[in-house]
Amino acid sequence: MAECGEISMMLGAFEDSELEPNEMQEVAFHLARCESCTGILGDYSTLGRNLRSIAPEPKLAGFSSAVVARVERLPQPVLTRIERWLWRQAHSVGSGIAWSGAVAAVAVATIILMTPYAEQFANRGPHSTTSIAETGHEAATAANQVAQATASEPTMADNDSHADISRLESENHSVAVWSEPRRGTTVIWLPDQP
Amino acid sequence: MTLRSGSLASLIIALTAFAMPGFAHAQAKPKQVTVYIDSVMAADTNEGTDPRLAPMSAKLRGLFGFSTYSLIGHNEGQTDCGKMVAFILPGGKILHVQPRAIDGDMIAMEIVLFDGTRPMMTTDLKLKNNGTLIVGGPRYEQGMMIISIGASTGESHPMQATPAEANTR
Repeated sequence: MAECGEISMMLGAFEDSELEPNEMQEVAFHLARCESCTGILGDYSTLGRNLRSIAPEPKLAGFSSAVVARVERLPQPVLTRIERWLWRQAHSVGSGIAWSGAVAAVAVATIILMTPYAEQFANRGPHSTTSIAETGHEAATAANQVAQATASEPTMADNDSHADISRLESENHSVAVWSEPRRGTTVIWLPDQP
Repeated sequence: MTLRSGSLASLIIALTAFAMPGFAHAQAKPKQVTVYIDSVMAADTNEGTDPRLAPMSAKLRGLFGFSTYSLIGHNEGQTDCGKMVAFILPGGKILHVQPRAIDGDMIAMEIVLFDGTRPMMTTDLKLKNNGTLIVGGPRYEQGMMIISIGASTGESHPMQATPAEANTR
């Protein structure tokens, strides 16, 4: 087992996950048995968190537009200015044509897609009423089942999810999180990746 | 402008009176949190639920669809807020839990799960006092591993497995 002196030199890098895998394992195993180093690591963690919380973030609202505006104001050769003006004109004309085309295409697609529904709506008769009534009956049955299920569950409140996760990091892209309020549990599922 | 000696004394007394509770609070012992870990192997081998998991068997069966639940490890640790406690779990997993604060009935904490050398998951959460978080999914022997993490500011935890009979494979 490594000595505390060796481990303490690596605790900062361990907190930042910057160690080599074998070193990570060595430190992790040492920490599981050494309260002193565990305490030091806790101090590192607290210090880092506090520093992050007080570090001021520069306000960048409008920064990019200000830079672009400043670049625009730089003196340009006459030929470049003429070229830019021509490009802008061509772009605005081109984008106008593109927009008109897009609107027309959406309108045509809407007409094609909605025509059958419009006919169905216009020809709506007793059959539709029956289906609505059946749907209503099914909805009532489903509501009844839900009510029965709710009554058979434990008495814990529905919003009592027991855990409020503010951050979750994992290299596993298939991680899933769900809450089971009635069972008072939150589940994090980390399936092994192939 | 000068303060008379009576006014100055009153001011000192008032400031002392206001400062004392804060000083006492600062000197108070940090709050302790007890962390309970149950490591469970879940599989579809039709062997039923381990009797040692009786307090949480209904929950497990309600959450997952396995036919076998077996307790493979139970760990408990007590720590102060701000101090991390580490657990070595079956299957080469290591769990670090650091309670950070107690906010009413909720315990704020950071949990890091390692698979040997590799951090598998890091999460910050607030867990209800006596509540449980379940982390599952990693393969273990012929099934999967489910880790139930509970935290309590009191003495007992209602959903833990029977610690005296729990063992570690």
